[in-house]
Amino acid sequence: MKESRYFAVVYMFVLTAICSTLLIGLARLTEAKIKSNAQIAFERAALAVFPSIQVQSDAEVHSVFTKDFTVPMVSGDAYEYRPGGQLAGYALPFEGQGFWAPIRGVIGIGTDLQTITGIWFYEQAETPGLGARIVEPFFYEQFAGKQFEEGLRPIRIRAPAEASDKDIQAITGATQTCVRLEKLLNDAVTQWRQKKEATQP
Amino acid sequence: MNGQTATKTTNQIILDGLWRDNPIFRQILGICSTLAVTNNVTNTAVMCISLSLVTALSCATVSAMKEWTPKTVRMMVQVLIIAFYVIIVDILLRAYWPDMSRNLGPYVGLIITNCIVMGRCEAFAQSNRPWPSFLDGLFSGLGYSVILMVIAAIREVMGMGTLAGYPLPYFSTQWDKWVIMVMPPGAFFVLACLLWLCRSIGIKGKKS
Repeated sequence: MKESRYFAVVYMFVLTAICSTLLIGLARLTEAKIKSNAQIAFERAALAVFPSIQVQSDAEVHSVFTKDFTVPMVSGDAYEYRPGGQLAGYALPFEGQGFWAPIRGVIGIGTDLQTITGIWFYEQAETPGLGARIVEPFFYEQFAGKQFEEGLRPIRIRAPAEASDKDIQAITGATQTCVRLEKLLNDAVTQWRQKKEATQP
Repeated sequence: MNGQTATKTTNQIILDGLWRDNPIFRQILGICSTLAVTNNVTNTAVMCISLSLVTALSCATVSAMKEWTPKTVRMMVQVLIIAFYVIIVDILLRAYWPDMSRNLGPYVGLIITNCIVMGRCEAFAQSNRPWPSFLDGLFSGLGYSVILMVIAAIREVMGMGTLAGYPLPYFSTQWDKWVIMVMPPGAFFVLACLLWLCRSIGIKGKKS
């Protein structure tokens, strides 16, 4: 019977059904946890762009986020940071293609729409040791306090030798990552600012 | 791999997996992951543990089911079992260790196509009882892990000046970091040198 053709088909079918059922069960069990992990990663990013916020645990992150941030009406718009009701800045999510995979993060912008308060990357898969160093403090801390420049390139990431005080110093050996990062940041910021100016009286 | 597997003792299985039939430098299997995840010791360690567990459990399951599995579909069954365990590992990492899951990215899923797992299922588990098959899978996985950890340590220290994320005294300051060690080609060079070294030792051992 074991060598029968039909037995092989039925055997494979039953085995696949059992394995799939078990895996679907496991995926269902962990679904909520995986979703909340992703949500916390985003909330942490939104908080991290305002240097005045000091939080550690996931629970703290979530409570501050739900209390002090207002969710935008349309997607692609910025989250407003209102500690105690007073507007203190905008957290603008951005995403785009990096060198290997999408880069996702949040950039913090002051109420003057001119000053960067900070930046945080919560998803990237750039080359470890080179492009992936965008998540290290020496790189992302440069953004805080920088002013947007005029024109279509409000943020400029330049080679360390050419960069002035107003520019962000690129990472040596990670040219592709820096070029793409600069483009996707500028696209996000420019679009948002144009929308913002259009809607303001 | 050899004909008398059915009579192997536990010690032989362990020694074969770790050294005599080492998947990396003896059978040259699973090289893709060697290149991909070995520039950081922490990531490599998680990858190695995942692979060893998946290999051991898959081999045990394949072995336990070999009496009922029709020969015509045995390889499909093997892939199904391997995929089953790999997806479990992937889901657990995503739920309980999201940072690590993000670091490893698609490479956890790629364990399914790692030749070591299927190689052991087909070569050993198919003709042995579950417990020896479990050991064989586990120690083949560990044999792979040892080499990967050595490659990862060399690449991380020379390329980034850190070990498992901690800066080392000399390498993080004075050492001129080798960019190539961070890039995938760096693994080729380290792997080739290790192969050379291990095989030379192996030949010497045989002569004496």
